Amino acid sequence: MPIAIVTGSSRGLGRALAEALLAEGWTVHGFARSAQTWTHPHFHPHAVDVGDEAVVTAAVAAVLAASGRVDLLINNAGAASMNALLLTPAATAAALMRVNYLGAWHCLQAVGKAMVRQRAGLVVNLTTVAVPLALSGEAAYVASKAAVEALTKVAAAELQPQGVRVHAVGLGPVATDLTRAVGADKLAALNQRIGRPHGTSLAEAVDFIAQAWRSPAADTGSIRYLGSFS
Amino acid sequence: MASFPRDAAVRLVLTRLALLGQELGKPALAQADEQTRLFGEASPLDSIGLVTLMADLEEDLYKATGRRVTIADERAMSRLTSPFRRVGLLADHIVEIVNAPAP
Repeated sequence: MPIAIVTGSSRGLGRALAEALLAEGWTVHGFARSAQTWTHPHFHPHAVDVGDEAVVTAAVAAVLAASGRVDLLINNAGAASMNALLLTPAATAAALMRVNYLGAWHCLQAVGKAMVRQRAGLVVNLTTVAVPLALSGEAAYVASKAAVEALTKVAAAELQPQGVRVHAVGLGPVATDLTRAVGADKLAALNQRIGRPHGTSLAEAVDFIAQAWRSPAADTGSIRYLGSFS
Repeated sequence: MASFPRDAAVRLVLTRLALLGQELGKPALAQADEQTRLFGEASPLDSIGLVTLMADLEEDLYKATGRRVTIADERAMSRLTSPFRRVGLLADHIVEIVNAPAP
């Protein structure tokens, strides 16, 4: 039974990804700060703040003690904030960088070592179409996800010789708590820009991300976006 | 817990180097000793090999001592003489971090 770690698994996209993996026969270890109240015989919740290196290291050690290996890491945990660049407090930028970028960094580093020892593994980092669009009003969020994309490329190059592949997938707005606070007109305009006027459902987002483990490509370091835009 | 002796650390590194040598097709690694360079032009390992060695050694240390340690920690990276220069220096560093009080 393959072993996965999904971060941000308490709700929304992370939970949906974990449930998809469980339905396909995976054992899933879910990392989340908030309580994970849902259950499944092969789902193992861990209380983890991904921005805390020591906590992540301990949690990955616990996963390895319980399951022996990690075949898939999905760095999904994330936070967003919309505000004009000149009105965004530095503390907000730092907080987003801590969760979105450093969170992925800590998990990738801890799990990457296990995958190097296995000489195999797949890492999927979540990014956003807001990066290639250079979306106004999301400077702090876009910068943190651009860092994730850069990390993806370098990690892919460094880990490829040991059989570890690293990819990033970017989504537009998905109907989750993260986008609930965003105005409908803004969401509609963004969905229009990426050629998805009807938006993206949770199921569509999961199917797009799942291609990474369902149809594993031989390449590494790819950054794929859901939608079409120029 | 009894302290982890230096000769055990040296043996651990040399054993892992020999195994890595088999995997990488570099049989010379089986002949490594405390003076063997771990990076640089004089080393039989490239940077990828060095990273793999560290990842493997951390698991070896866990199995040997029950402690999970990070070999490339802040202390290691800030030292004037890198503990990754030679096998003997790496063994010294391993003894230090494994025998340090748990945080």
